Amino acid sequence: MSYVDAGYTIALGTVFLYAIGLGLRRRRWERALKVAKDTEEPVVPGTRS
Amino acid sequence: MNTITTVSRPRWLSIVGLLGVVGMGFTVWLGLWVTPPDAVQGNLARLLYIHPPIATVALYWAGGVALAGSLLYLWPRTRSIFWDRLAASAVEVGAVFSALTCVTGSIWGRPAWGVWWAWDARLTSTALLLLLELGYLALRRVPADPAVRARRCAVAALLVAVDVPIVHFSVDWWQTLHQTGTVLDPGFHLHVHGSMAWTFLLGFISFSLIFVWLLAVRYRIEVIQDTVGDQEMEVSLADRWSEGSELVGIGSTSHQEPDGGAP
Repeated sequence: MSYVDAGYTIALGTVFLYAIGLGLRRRRWERALKVAKDTEEPVVPGTRS
Repeated sequence: MNTITTVSRPRWLSIVGLLGVVGMGFTVWLGLWVTPPDAVQGNLARLLYIHPPIATVALYWAGGVALAGSLLYLWPRTRSIFWDRLAASAVEVGAVFSALTCVTGSIWGRPAWGVWWAWDARLTSTALLLLLELGYLALRRVPADPAVRARRCAVAALLVAVDVPIVHFSVDWWQTLHQTGTVLDPGFHLHVHGSMAWTFLLGFISFSLIFVWLLAVRYRIEVIQDTVGDQEMEVSLADRWSEGSELVGIGSTSHQEPDGGAP
């Protein structure tokens, strides 16, 4: 592999993997948000028994 | 408080991302197959269709957004969590591009200079930029009140931004192994022509579009993280309040008077 090929592969591969990683992180946090919303609604302090 | 509706996916973002990817594809095609080899560097010059655009994103776009966001957060009249989140997102994306700037530059430097790395002003200040960005990201993970964290990070981002002009002018201020302006000289005279110039331009545009897309996606993650954090905090506080009231209830019943005083 030449230096040029290595440079292009590393640069584009890293950007691609970072983008995929961001997509996965976003999905994980969206699921966490959904779970947080579904499991328990926030309550006004003192109103729960 | 932010809700899931505030992080819905805008259509323009998909278009920007798509344009960035298509532009990147054309840049690779033009850079590797269409443009001629350089008269001096030969095929090695093809690396320069991606290295300066990556450095531009790391230095000017990410650094500029981080600086603007942090200043606008620190300025009392414009203080908003939006600016803090935007700056944080820019620093993270900028760190990825700063690392790529060092790596692609190093890959070019090995055959061109004979060394993978040299402690010259441009390379050292770029490495320092990456370290400052990593420091910012580490600082952001330190648990703190959101307002305190935002203020700390805004100050840290100013330190990151201070390094940006140093990186830019390093080749003018000091005698460096790194060459001066690759595309434009200080007098804004173009050094590249023909298909090479168009490939350069397309590379700059494509990486800039991809930066915008990555920044927007990262910003949305920041919003969701804060929303989940707020939600968990409210639930946790509610539980604490509930436990506290139960304890108070138990405590007051255990101290009830024999005649049955109300708790």
